[in-house]
Amino acid sequence: MSEPSIFFSEVNERQGVFNRRAFLMGGLAGGGILALGGRLAQLQVLEFDRYRLMSTENQFNFRLIPPPRGRILDRFGVELASNRPNFRVLLVRDEINDIDATLDALSQLIPITPERRRQLLREISRSPKLVPVAVAEDLTWEEFSRVNVRTPELPGVTADMGEARVYPHGGAFAHVVGYVAKVSDRDVEAAGLNPDPLLHHPGFRIGKQGVEKALDAVLRGKSGAVKTEVDALGREVRKDPEGDIKPVAGKTVVLSLDADVQSRALEVLGEDSGACVVIDVQSGDLICMASAPSFDANQFVRGLTSAEYRALSEYERRPLLDKALSGTYPPGSTFKPMTALAALDSGMVNPNETVVCSGQMWFGNRFFHCWKRGGHGAQNMHEAIKNSCDIYFYQTALKIGPDRIARVAEAFGLGQTFDIGISGQKPGLVPSTAWKRKQYHQPWYPGESLSFGIGQGALSANALQLAVMTARLANGHKALNPRLIKSIGGVETPSGAAAADLPFRPEHMELVRSGMAAVANDTTGTAYRASQLGLGPVLMAGKTGTAQVRVISRAERASGVRSNDSLPWHLRDHALFVAFAPYDAPRYALSIIVQHGGGGAAVAAPKAREIMRVVLLKDAAIRARIESPLPMPEAPVSATGEVEGEAPPPPSDAMMPAAAATVSGGPTP
Amino acid sequence: MTASAITRPGERDRLIVKLAQIDWTFTLVLCLIAATGAAMLYSISGLSWEPWAAKHLIRFGLCLALMIVLATVDVRIWFISAYPVYGFGLLLLIAVEVMGDVSLGAQRWLDLGVVRLQPSEIMKIGLVLALARFYHGLSAEAAKFSWRLVVPVVLIALPTLLVAHQPDLGTAVLLAATGGAVMVLAGLSLRVVVALAVTVAAAIPPFVMFVLHDYQRNRILTFLNPEADPSGSGYHILQSKIALGSGGLLGKGYGLGSQSQLNFLPEKHTDFIFATLAEEFGFVGCISVLLLYAAAITIALRIASISHSHFGRLGAAGVTATFALYVMINGAMVMGLAPVVGVPMPLLSFGGTVMLTVMIGFGLVQSVRVHRYSEITSGRGTLL
Repeated sequence: MSEPSIFFSEVNERQGVFNRRAFLMGGLAGGGILALGGRLAQLQVLEFDRYRLMSTENQFNFRLIPPPRGRILDRFGVELASNRPNFRVLLVRDEINDIDATLDALSQLIPITPERRRQLLREISRSPKLVPVAVAEDLTWEEFSRVNVRTPELPGVTADMGEARVYPHGGAFAHVVGYVAKVSDRDVEAAGLNPDPLLHHPGFRIGKQGVEKALDAVLRGKSGAVKTEVDALGREVRKDPEGDIKPVAGKTVVLSLDADVQSRALEVLGEDSGACVVIDVQSGDLICMASAPSFDANQFVRGLTSAEYRALSEYERRPLLDKALSGTYPPGSTFKPMTALAALDSGMVNPNETVVCSGQMWFGNRFFHCWKRGGHGAQNMHEAIKNSCDIYFYQTALKIGPDRIARVAEAFGLGQTFDIGISGQKPGLVPSTAWKRKQYHQPWYPGESLSFGIGQGALSANALQLAVMTARLANGHKALNPRLIKSIGGVETPSGAAAADLPFRPEHMELVRSGMAAVANDTTGTAYRASQLGLGPVLMAGKTGTAQVRVISRAERASGVRSNDSLPWHLRDHALFVAFAPYDAPRYALSIIVQHGGGGAAVAAPKAREIMRVVLLKDAAIRARIESPLPMPEAPVSATGEVEGEAPPPPSDAMMPAAAATVSGGPTP
Repeated sequence: MTASAITRPGERDRLIVKLAQIDWTFTLVLCLIAATGAAMLYSISGLSWEPWAAKHLIRFGLCLALMIVLATVDVRIWFISAYPVYGFGLLLLIAVEVMGDVSLGAQRWLDLGVVRLQPSEIMKIGLVLALARFYHGLSAEAAKFSWRLVVPVVLIALPTLLVAHQPDLGTAVLLAATGGAVMVLAGLSLRVVVALAVTVAAAIPPFVMFVLHDYQRNRILTFLNPEADPSGSGYHILQSKIALGSGGLLGKGYGLGSQSQLNFLPEKHTDFIFATLAEEFGFVGCISVLLLYAAAITIALRIASISHSHFGRLGAAGVTATFALYVMINGAMVMGLAPVVGVPMPLLSFGGTVMLTVMIGFGLVQSVRVHRYSEITSGRGTLL
């Protein structure tokens, strides 16, 4: 320092203070920078993973690609449920500043009614911010492309080509195949803590009934995603095809049903309320499971208006109810084969022993009537089944007691549900002394046995159970189980034929079966006229049932029982029929219930014949048998030509020789 | 050039000698920071010189030339012009208050027809100069604690209140903190410093709740809990933290920062450029730049301490304090440690006014170094 610059006495003190303070400030600045460095280390080194994830979430937009829903086919590959392209316009609220302006712009391109607009605004305000809302669905190609071209000017709007479920057969499979519909809050809740993101996708439909519901997880498939890079305004910067996740299509489900049979069954049932089940007696495959009246499942896919829903739910014949599974009815006389088998099995009844039917019998303190005024006269078991004689079965039931009948009924599938893969089965009820004690704390009154013996009283069953019962009887040895779902994704499900043998003697079952053959083929059988298939040597065996739903008073009985036609619909009898064919080598069993339809022989049996004809004609082996020329008889028989066509007018004997020729131990007159 | 050469009379006034006395290491550090800024601006505009990078470099070049020119200006001229500059700045602030241009809800700019002037920037230099000028004539005893300190307090308070009223809270805080730093450097009793610090800390919560504008209060509340409204007022801080954190140790690579390239980062070219740097170059890049800033601050303080005049010491140190405060406040803001106030990262951020202020300030620092032996005789504890 060559130039001393001391002008003030304290100058060195000032410099000293400054230097100390400058050092302090430098230290503070250094400390500050060190703190910044520490914070950087925390963010960039320690919390790197967290922020990297957030950055990726910012940068990339994973757009969900819903998988195509698995198709549902019938046994021959006919589509029962499939998908069709659906052009729609989606809107994401988060990306829109002015929803009104956007909707105004959209309504220039596609029709949006003021009502729809109000509904949309409600929907938009309710849905989560990032979840797209469908503005319009099922657009035409022109409307779709008009919006598609303009999407760059309409942020938050996308034109999207999705798929919608379609049921080509409309109502024929509405109950068994079911339908898909919009996801409800309850569906989301049911999905648990980590719901499939698909549930929030607009246009996604979830299975609500039948196979669609039961196999929803299998049919749904796995969603894919398109990875796109987006900027802060959500605009797509570029696609990243390598980041795409391909959707996995839902599996194809093949049912054992036959679309032709099912459609025919619905046609035959018409406006009547009822159900029809057809089952293969060898494999247990369900060929038909129809419930009428039905509804158009496609309506549910697009969503019902409240008026449409009210119309369906308030209709007296209850189209929404699956009557094949959920409707339980007293089986009436169709149950008599069970009573007969129980009697044979007990060893207490000789089938050749006769009971005299005078049309009524006094028991307890009242009369029990036979359906035939004046009675059938002396009846053995075969005749009692053929004529459906009530008095015979009253007596028989009284003799053997309810528990023996219940045991047989349960062995044949009544009072239980089957694992056919869909829910909604009601087990019905098979009464017994134990049940009575448990339910009512009362002993079984012998009077109840009378009703039980003819399939009334507390006994109830659904159409599926009656079909299984008939199939097991027709089959003659196996307690086969019904199967509805034939295969899932090409993997065959176990057949219903793998089942234990029935604990009854074949000759007893043969006796009962021959009674049923007589019902349909003996000219005096209850359903003779209605049961002629007109298929040559292929014959049907069956049993009619008319289940009473009201009490007939003594006064009415005296003045004449009112006919069904004069009663209000809900008081009419249920008409039932169970059948199997061909009688000589059973392949198919059928049950039909026409709710409040009237008499089993008059109403149910003709419908059963129509349905059974379609079933038999679709079976190649049986068709070959029908079409093969009759073997030349040793002695000329005059009536062979008359087998074709409708049932011959009674009392022709033309059918009987043919039946007798093929049926071993045929009916005794 | 030997040490004996510059001791010759008149030798120091030669331009070439003056240029040689400029601290070129310091200049190089400043150039490196500005070049890093230009590189980042080039990256975020999609590897393009437009619209920011080229402008940034040109501006820096002009400012650098200005700094060198100012470095050759005798420190005595700085001394003489101290109060006039302060007075001019104050007049402009009052002018803005009366007839300023309201932009973005704040009266900050004075439209002079040709240039839009931000008087608060002139005040950053003017305040440091005026305080240094005042303390130059004050004894160490008086600087510690005396009635004379009313003068610096008024010198600080006037521009601070005017700027706060504009309202520009960031600059007001910066002015007050700079003034406070100069007072402390000049020797204010540490007991008084501690007492003041406690008082200010106690006064902040009521000040925030009752005096601030709504948007200012929201910024502070947001800072305290940014996750409360991630798409609203917390967006800036959250996105900045994502940019920083996702950079990791080595960064995503030059030109590959998704946060800044895809516009998730707000103000990516100005206040949040450090976050862009952090995203693309990671922890290593950030620490390197922070070390450059630390080097600049250290060199400037060293220059201040070798000055023979008290004016030179306090002037250089005051400018350094402003610079350091810029770095601290911006760094803390970008890292989510301070509320979002409009304070850029000096020389790194795009923006001419702040760059001009900083480089004029460093012109003073360089001048103090070049003229470190100069004697300033006048102004013993008086205003003139």
